[in-house]
Amino acid sequence: MLLVLSDEHKEHLGFLPEVDSAVVGEFGRIAVEFLRKGSNPKIYEGAASKSSSASLICIKLFMYHIIFMPVQTCLALTGKLNVTAEIVQHGVEGLMYLLSESSKLMISEVDFQDSVLVLGFSEELNKLLLQLYLENRKEIRLILSELAPSMPHYHNLEWRLDAQLASRALRQQVKPVLNLKLQLDDNGTRRTHLLQTDPATLLHLIQELERALAEVKTNHCRRILRNIK
Amino acid sequence: MELSEFVQEGLQYLADSGYFNDKAFAVMIEVAFRSLLLSSSDDTVLDNNELKHIEQTVVKHCHSAVTTCILECVKQNADRSTICTCLEDIRFDPERIDTFCSLYQKHKKDLENVLSSIGRGLPHINDASWRLEYQIKNSHLHKVNQPSYLITLSTENSGSRSAEEVNFSCNMEQLQDLVGKMKDAAKSLEKATQL
Repeated sequence: MLLVLSDEHKEHLGFLPEVDSAVVGEFGRIAVEFLRKGSNPKIYEGAASKSSSASLICIKLFMYHIIFMPVQTCLALTGKLNVTAEIVQHGVEGLMYLLSESSKLMISEVDFQDSVLVLGFSEELNKLLLQLYLENRKEIRLILSELAPSMPHYHNLEWRLDAQLASRALRQQVKPVLNLKLQLDDNGTRRTHLLQTDPATLLHLIQELERALAEVKTNHCRRILRNIK
Repeated sequence: MELSEFVQEGLQYLADSGYFNDKAFAVMIEVAFRSLLLSSSDDTVLDNNELKHIEQTVVKHCHSAVTTCILECVKQNADRSTICTCLEDIRFDPERIDTFCSLYQKHKKDLENVLSSIGRGLPHINDASWRLEYQIKNSHLHKVNQPSYLITLSTENSGSRSAEEVNFSCNMEQLQDLVGKMKDAAKSLEKATQL
């Protein structure tokens, strides 16, 4: 399945052939970093004012010392790349969109190469982009999966076996009780449910849930899992 | 075993043959046990021919006294000698004490069950339902292709209150982890019963 790129998108990415492939590699890394953590406009300014030879060093400096080194200091260290921060921003965003769309659709190598061919980049640049895609797609898919709607998710179960000895209504009892602490994750927040059950119900629950587990191994489920890929 | 003045007064009426002859006494005791064990309340429980000729306030007083006494005995797990001593103090005849004790023995287990079900506790799990689904795609990610489970645990709290449900989803590994932990609990339960 081919990725269809809009004209605006192509325009944004059009900035990439004009720079070193090393710079494109770094832009790719910035794009992935932004996908992980969210974008930071200061980096665009810094990158726009780099000289082509010192660009690699400065971008590295910028990424790791962004909190400590003010923009002015970095500007003083370098020459000019002769582009505005906006163009750099568009370039990085274009890369981000390209990577996230490709990962979302999980397109194959061949399809990715064909889609990128439309942009008319050099062979080397195409290879670079493909490598960037293949290396990062698993992680990007993981990030995207966090956006999908989700239910409270099982996290952990702790149990404790108690014997109730007496209550206000009845003294001198021996009643076994199983106290359970079920921890669920709901979009980052953790909820704890305190529940209890008795031995007979526990055995029934185990039986029922084992039946659920066995269901995946039946022929019906295996056939569906195999055929929908 | 301590009984309040109200209860002792009621039992004294019961001990007195002038108010309750032998038949009326037997009926009264039976009625008291029945009203404790029936799951639905019965307004006509005191509507008995044998009790009609006795003053109604006395009948009601005795009924509440006897039921309180029975519950107190079951709660404290009183043995026969304790009950006999208690009733002798209220000047019950030996035959009447016997009637009471034999019925008490007969219904003790059931009454214990009723009393043990009263009380506060954590929500009690009754049942688990599950649903197996296969996630194909969502708006953010295509080709997900993962099986997942949706589990519902139905709980109830203190019998009368509404049943609540705990819903959560999990994948296969997590469900295996959950079942594994429950099996550990069951194993330790087995070991504990063998101690």
